[in-house]
Amino acid sequence: MIDSEKVAEQVRMCAACPKMCRHVCPTFFAWRSDAPTPHGRALLIHQEIVGTREIDERGVEVLYQCLECSHCLTWCKPEIDIATIVEIKRRDLVESGKEPSGIFKLTALIKDTHNPFGEKQTKRNDWIQRKGKKGRKILYFTGCTAAYRETDSAQDTVTLLEQLGFLVVISSDEWCCGSPLFRTGNQEAGLEQAAHNIEMLNTIDVEEILVTCPGCYRVLTNDYPEHGYELNKPVRHISEFLNTMLPQLPVMNFEGDVTFHDPCHLGRHSGVYDAPRKVIEQVSGSPVVEMERNKENAMCCGNGAGLRTLFPEYAKKIGAERIRQATSTGAKYLVTSCPFCKEMLNSQTNTALNVLDLSEFVRQAIEGRDVKTD
Amino acid sequence: MLDEESKKKAFARIAKIVGKTHVTKYETDRILNAHDAWPLSEAKLRAGEILPLADMVVFPRSVDEVSKILVVANELKIPVIPVGGGAGTCGGTLPIYGGIQLDLKRLDQIYQIDHDSMLVRVQAGVVGIDLEEEVNRHGYTTGHTPTSLRASNVGGFIATRSGGSMSSLYGKIEDLTLGLQIVLPDGSIIETKAVPRHSVGPDLRQLFIGSEGTLGIITEATLRLFPLPEVRRFRGVSFPDVHSGLVAIRKIFRVGILPSVVRLYDPEDAALSFSMHFQFEEGHCMLLLAFDGDANKVKIDEKHSLKICLDEGGTDHGEGPSKRWWEHRYDMYYPTRLTTGGYAIGDTIDIVATYDKLENVYHAMKIAMEAEDAVVMSHFSHMYQNGGSIYMIFFTSQPDAESAWATYKRIWDAGVAACLREGGTMSHQHGIGLSRSTYTEDELGSSFKVLKQIKEVLDPNGIMNPGKLGLGVRK
Repeated sequence: MIDSEKVAEQVRMCAACPKMCRHVCPTFFAWRSDAPTPHGRALLIHQEIVGTREIDERGVEVLYQCLECSHCLTWCKPEIDIATIVEIKRRDLVESGKEPSGIFKLTALIKDTHNPFGEKQTKRNDWIQRKGKKGRKILYFTGCTAAYRETDSAQDTVTLLEQLGFLVVISSDEWCCGSPLFRTGNQEAGLEQAAHNIEMLNTIDVEEILVTCPGCYRVLTNDYPEHGYELNKPVRHISEFLNTMLPQLPVMNFEGDVTFHDPCHLGRHSGVYDAPRKVIEQVSGSPVVEMERNKENAMCCGNGAGLRTLFPEYAKKIGAERIRQATSTGAKYLVTSCPFCKEMLNSQTNTALNVLDLSEFVRQAIEGRDVKTD
Repeated sequence: MLDEESKKKAFARIAKIVGKTHVTKYETDRILNAHDAWPLSEAKLRAGEILPLADMVVFPRSVDEVSKILVVANELKIPVIPVGGGAGTCGGTLPIYGGIQLDLKRLDQIYQIDHDSMLVRVQAGVVGIDLEEEVNRHGYTTGHTPTSLRASNVGGFIATRSGGSMSSLYGKIEDLTLGLQIVLPDGSIIETKAVPRHSVGPDLRQLFIGSEGTLGIITEATLRLFPLPEVRRFRGVSFPDVHSGLVAIRKIFRVGILPSVVRLYDPEDAALSFSMHFQFEEGHCMLLLAFDGDANKVKIDEKHSLKICLDEGGTDHGEGPSKRWWEHRYDMYYPTRLTTGGYAIGDTIDIVATYDKLENVYHAMKIAMEAEDAVVMSHFSHMYQNGGSIYMIFFTSQPDAESAWATYKRIWDAGVAACLREGGTMSHQHGIGLSRSTYTEDELGSSFKVLKQIKEVLDPNGIMNPGKLGLGVRK
């Protein structure tokens, strides 16, 4: 985390930049205005710091028209971390009760139901069908999107792990990891989730924790320890986990190219780029056909940091653009390694491009079955 | 600024044209969309000042919407300030008399490439890098690569008569633009046909190239394309002084060679830009060359150019300095702690002159600007058969805002006066905007009245970007 002096120095520089990163900013793409851009956000914060002008209601909205995807950082020579600065500012806004009402409602929902969808806790694991009864125990922290919205992906993860010889443990007491809360500025509420999850995770007798959601991964490996919540076992993302088991993975001719969408929380925020690609290459027998914007330069799917909650049409526009980019590779499959990204991309795809989460992709190979085409 | 009644009336009518989500009166939007990259604006923003604001910002989606907005503005006599990428360096988009900022970024369509004619039709709001990447996918380059490429857009290129770093070979935007669509202040839409040459009277297209939104709004252009070069080779040669470097450049053009890049760094700029990375004699200049095209032709051109350079006393440094510049050519555009600290301010006066005057202009401007407390470093770039441009880069840092802004103005006044006195022209590619507006009459001399008369005929109500290009200045 950066201190207030550093924030002031960074926004002063960014506010004086001729917008050298704006062309990759997904919210600039969606709005085509200079307001929801790194430069715009920095200028608002700079003017408040130097006492020129308070951030008004529209300014608050602008600060929530940010995906915190950090794509701007890839293109910033002075390495100004606008995503982190925006998140710090959002905390101030939440503390003073100035966050948008949509974010207030989202926070209340998570505090009340422990997931951002308002679903019942008792239904969290409704989807699970388990066959395996033995093997090395591994805890699967499912995350809310997989548990409530991408249950096929979650089930494929469980089945895959069982087929690889693991006994999958899933807690019925898992709460939202807190990612939507941390990213939208409610650190206190995020830490409530953290406290619960840490206690739950640290008392389960397993050797490691596996996650499929990069949002959960970042929170468990970064936000929790940053606030003193230490897990007593390692956390691995499914892509890293499968990358260590390549010889055991199936191989299938998918009869079409495969491209990969880098989730922001996995790529730019956690530095994991190669693992999912190696898994895809092993399973499909061919290297990933890259989109022009890939790895550090990958475009966000549009689903992060509260944008879809507050501005769904603009978020979808960004998702549709990412689908266009994937389609232009000529690939038949767009694989990602994030249920949250998968949900957005799948909602915007066309019949020619099949969107799959990594677990689903590997499971297709095991089953040798064709994927959906409608 | 408009009175409340006029503002309300205009806003309601414009909202009907573009929809409520594409016009805004919020102060936050007006602040965030107000400025371009004029160093004085940036310095003032850093210092906590609020720049002049428009009354509203509108984001039309089509030429028809632009036309309808201008009909409203013309009827209500409201200033209209067209905004492109907002990357200009002269304050050309600052709404100094309020009014409507008409932002073209939603006009972002790239139409099909005409492969036979090597042309592309494109809307004004397309960002430069997006256009370049798209035509690259089809094996072409626009040949237009200004340092602002990631932030500036097609409309802004044309409105400011801009130039890219390879203009010696490919030309400036006025050479690259074949056809235009323009909306006049009364809302009428006109087009100039895209043809390579014609003899149907004066070239009206050229009237609007560089008009900076004072005569109408550019909404679409047909631009030339070039096949991506088979090879691009780089060469760096140091010279003991500016004179010998300029002689070498002149002779290269004289034998018919057109390098894509020609940049001669004076001793100060060479030391700052290259001494950390390459060994060359202290106090020497550095010439950067690049050659684009067919491998055999490039090889011959490079060899011949190098011989000319060595004959004029140059020292060969291989491809290193030139290639490094190419790979880092956007770096200087980023802010740094040094250039954004305190009341620091730097800028560039990008003058142009013929070879017979170029050296005198350089020395005269350097002396005049340094006398006003400026640190000055320069490079000669955008060179042609008959002359070229000098980037007179200056930097000053003062203890407070008042003296910083005053020093900045004195440096500009002294630099431009010296340029004009020695027979130079005060801008090669950045345009006039606000920073040079007051010098326009001196620059154009007896021809300024023609520009004024054209303005009066096309824009009798004076709504188009008033205060820029020395036109429509109000009390």
